[in-house]
Amino acid sequence: MHLVRDVLDQKLLDREDCEMGRVDGLVMKVGERSQPRITHIQIGGTTPWMRLHPVFARLAAKLARMWGPKRADPVRIPWSRVMTVGRDIKLDVKARETGAIDWEIWIARHIIERIPGGGHEEEG
Amino acid sequence: MKKALEITLGIVTSVGGFLEIGSVTTAVQAGAAFGYHLLWAILLGTVCLIFLVEMSGRFSAVSRHTIVDATRERFGFPFFAIVLVGVVLVFFMVLVAELGGIGLSLQILTGIGFPWWAIPVSFAVWLLMWKGTFGLIENGASILGLVTISFVVAALKLNPDWGAAGHGLLPGLPGDDKAKYGFIAVSILGASISPHLMYFYSSGAIEDEWDKTYIPINRFIAGFGISFGGVLSMAALVTAALAFQPNGVEVDTFEQSALLMTTAFPKWGFFLFAASMLFTCLGAALETSLAIAYFFAQGFGWSWSEDLTPSKNARFCFTYTIIILLAAIPLLVGIDPIKVTLMSMALTAATLPLAVLPFLFLMNDPIYLGEHRNGWVSNTVVGITILISFVLALIAIPLQIIGG
Amino acid sequence: MDSALSWIGTAGMAGDAWLRQTTPDTYARQTLELSHQNLRQISNDLLESPPLGPDSAYLNTVLARSRRRIARLAALITAKDAPDFARELDLLRADQRIVKRLSDKIESEE
Repeated sequence: MHLVRDVLDQKLLDREDCEMGRVDGLVMKVGERSQPRITHIQIGGTTPWMRLHPVFARLAAKLARMWGPKRADPVRIPWSRVMTVGRDIKLDVKARETGAIDWEIWIARHIIERIPGGGHEEEG
Repeated sequence: MKKALEITLGIVTSVGGFLEIGSVTTAVQAGAAFGYHLLWAILLGTVCLIFLVEMSGRFSAVSRHTIVDATRERFGFPFFAIVLVGVVLVFFMVLVAELGGIGLSLQILTGIGFPWWAIPVSFAVWLLMWKGTFGLIENGASILGLVTISFVVAALKLNPDWGAAGHGLLPGLPGDDKAKYGFIAVSILGASISPHLMYFYSSGAIEDEWDKTYIPINRFIAGFGISFGGVLSMAALVTAALAFQPNGVEVDTFEQSALLMTTAFPKWGFFLFAASMLFTCLGAALETSLAIAYFFAQGFGWSWSEDLTPSKNARFCFTYTIIILLAAIPLLVGIDPIKVTLMSMALTAATLPLAVLPFLFLMNDPIYLGEHRNGWVSNTVVGITILISFVLALIAIPLQIIGG
Repeated sequence: MDSALSWIGTAGMAGDAWLRQTTPDTYARQTLELSHQNLRQISNDLLESPPLGPDSAYLNTVLARSRRRIARLAALITAKDAPDFARELDLLRADQRIVKRLSDKIESEE
């Protein structure tokens, strides 16, 4: 598997095919005598902005702490939860429980649902 | 039967969706100032757009990705962020221009100034996106946009000199006012080769669940539909040449443009023009708002679809809501939509490489397209047109600014 | 001078359309007022840097007369006086031809 080509920046889906964002970063464990291996996928937070420049990461963190679900830390999903790597990466998780769609839920509940016709994000 | 209906609707979309304030304004300016001499710019832009739209549909049908998905995945977040900023800024200006076009159409019909229309028009556009489905937006606005066929009828009624028009299909330099000629040529190219159509079409192919069996249909839709759209644009130029040049009118304002078809259709010309601009700008405003929201949603991996209720794709809906709100502000404070149009068209031409070059790489990537990759013809046509547009823009924009 | 001709031409086309009752009154009046404003600006610019030649003063006179005609046309729309409007429009067209002739002459002398 080619990590940069096949994993990094790929779209993530949960076990119900709900969009969870993209692979913004990978956490690897480097041992003294063992091969480096991926331990976690990182989603959101300051991870993508850090790839641009630390200035953007600091700005993103500041804004994230002021507004919305008020979390600046990225979501980490263990690599063991990866089911398939193909057109998208499917994970054996429920998106809502991971924190990956906290912003989606917050905007839905605090803004979208308050506008007539917005519906309810928990409806089937 | 389903595919036959889709072909019809696809062509309608291409025809009705091609014209908007940019293509009409630039074509009318060109015809009034230089007669038939800028027909080649519309032809070049149309040919390039045919290839780009066909490629967009083919890419999504085969790879089951949108162009934005693939840009992020193939080139990484840092490159994607640069494209996002550049492209979205230009799209935003285009959205301001389209909303302004709707406002100006209502202004000439009612006498009420366009700043007063900024909020109602923005609200109407937002409401259509909030409540409407992708099919309603794609097809509804395009069917209404077919009123622009009146441009072709007007051009034919005025008995153009076909020989001179044919001559205009070949590039040439004017005798005088080269800076203005170059700027209008660049603006025509920017108006014709609209990247937002690429992203919109690609997203539409995914919304409509296209697969490889749609490749021949896609080719037909792109070729026939966009060609006819190009013909509409050329008809606007020819009509302008025949209506305005004999009266010595150089078109600089929307009020002047509104007289475009009053010679060909003494009774209905004014209202046909107003209706044409109203519907085409509405369609373009919807497409551009969607294109911006698609860019964010697809790039960041949010859920997105015009067919879901808003709370099911909250960030996507929130994005287009904010964008439309922000786009109303320049109009509220009275910034001239025509000036925004001309500058946004020229900037589109200047930033085409940012949108199209990564796309050309993707179209040659066997991982996404396998045997359906681009051939040398597509690569050459698109590559050369983008180069011409970019070079012209680099020369013409500063000249126009200096020339005032 | 091309701009002056353009705005006189615009006023003429808008006037023709109004006479045929094919445009709203507000549009026709606003377009005439826009033509008037732009012509005034062009006349001021020409006064500051006048073209060379003996016809320059006469050109200014004709432009000023065109402006007055356009202002009168806008007022006649409010009064809905079509016969006077038609007469004034013919006179404006005549002025347009004079401006064209003078403008071509000045350009050839330059």
